[in-house]
Amino acid sequence: MSEAVYGAKCTACGAVSYPRRLVCPKCRGEAFQPAEIGGEGLVLTYTDVYALAIDYDVRYLRLAIVELDGGLRVTGQLLDEEPKLGKRVRTKVGVVRETAGKPIYGLQFVPA
Amino acid sequence: MRPVYVVGAGMTRFGRSELSLVDLAGTAALAALRHASLGKVPVDGVVVANMGGSRINRQTALASALVDRLALYPAAAEAVENGPASGASAVKVGYQAVASGMADVVLVVGVEMMRVVDGLEGTDFVASLSHPEAEYIYGVTLPSLAGLFARLYMSRFGVERKHLAMVAIKNHDHAMKNPYAHIHQPITMEGILTSPEAVVNNPLVADPLCLFDCCPVSDGSAALILASKDIADRLSGPRVRIAGIGQATDTHAVHEREDPTDLRAVRLASEKAFAMADAKPADVHVVELHDAFTILEIVESEAAGFFKRGEAHKAIERGETRLAGRLPINPSGGLKARGHPVGATGVAQLVELTWQLRGEAAGRQVEKAKVAYACNFGGFGNNVIATVLRKEER
Repeated sequence: MSEAVYGAKCTACGAVSYPRRLVCPKCRGEAFQPAEIGGEGLVLTYTDVYALAIDYDVRYLRLAIVELDGGLRVTGQLLDEEPKLGKRVRTKVGVVRETAGKPIYGLQFVPA
Repeated sequence: MRPVYVVGAGMTRFGRSELSLVDLAGTAALAALRHASLGKVPVDGVVVANMGGSRINRQTALASALVDRLALYPAAAEAVENGPASGASAVKVGYQAVASGMADVVLVVGVEMMRVVDGLEGTDFVASLSHPEAEYIYGVTLPSLAGLFARLYMSRFGVERKHLAMVAIKNHDHAMKNPYAHIHQPITMEGILTSPEAVVNNPLVADPLCLFDCCPVSDGSAALILASKDIADRLSGPRVRIAGIGQATDTHAVHEREDPTDLRAVRLASEKAFAMADAKPADVHVVELHDAFTILEIVESEAAGFFKRGEAHKAIERGETRLAGRLPINPSGGLKARGHPVGATGVAQLVELTWQLRGEAAGRQVEKAKVAYACNFGGFGNNVIATVLRKEER
């Protein structure tokens, strides 16, 4: 369970919120089912960030916003040596941070 | 609602401070109180804006501490934490207190002491405003959000790194004339972009943004005295009214926005502030924007209504936003060069504009300025406050 990423699918209107909410922004419904987030999509934008937060022992992180097929967008780590706007990628789940020795799983993008 | 006036403004020099958090706030407060020359008129409300005191300075209940340090008890006092928009939020709370009649004179102080922690901890403290589940866990920091935003916006509208550099050069130049600015360092296009040394002088921070696209980490405090018309009428000096305040929010995660390059909360907050002030962008003579990153000055100036979408960079090329230009933006140096002590920034913007409208911005005075606009940008655009100030003839 902890090694997948979930959004919230509104049981009333079917809209998927990622990140999850307590209220559906489309229909204001309050009942949801977990919806696993992932698949293929296009790189909307990316950056190599050198101004890092705590927990990272690397020189920089490559982050991206990806628009998944179907329109849902996600933020995650881009594992691609040749990043390009509009490039097709697919998601995988990996360790994106380690806080106090504990791994945190999240979305990573690799070339499709 | 009763009209509300700014009757005093003061600040500390931004940069690095050896004072305690409360003494730093108190120094700006005393400067504003001296500026207002209230005489025996009591301060009946105190609002303190601060973002990180409880985490990085290990101090809570800052407003209570400040009231004590200034011996202003039994004045009402509260602190406001609203991320990087804390400053303008505190001004709004002070405005509401005076406008409603609950207070006649309110001291608003914004303060931040960020340089007590190292860069990693400081960056992480600000990054904690991002979405904890969908952004922060990936290593998202504010520079990274700005980098993601800049790459998308620049690819769509033909903005180049030279335009970002023009914003930085302008704001550094303006700050040279501001004794309160953190950075007093003139920079050139050669030095930060076009010479072989530029990559060393101006390294990448969040591609395509470089060091000189980012504001510094600053300590500092700024303060305003707000008062009712009865009180303002009794005081001397030019009269500046808070003509309009508008606020709007947006989704927490940037990726959820229909168009992530559209600063919708800036647009909506500005429309509200202008409607309340019965003014339009073309009426404005001087502007302070939240240029935590150079790209934000460009896009905020469009979202606020001063330029058409995708055209601000052309106005920058023509020098329109320089001190001597048609619409001076960030005469103070902006966050880029005045500095960005997070909780103090929204107040400092209005301190600068108050001085501008009173004709007291020596060396960087915008002539005949009567209407002023500020944008205080919280989160990465998910909580924005726009303020319009107007000079009133007596």
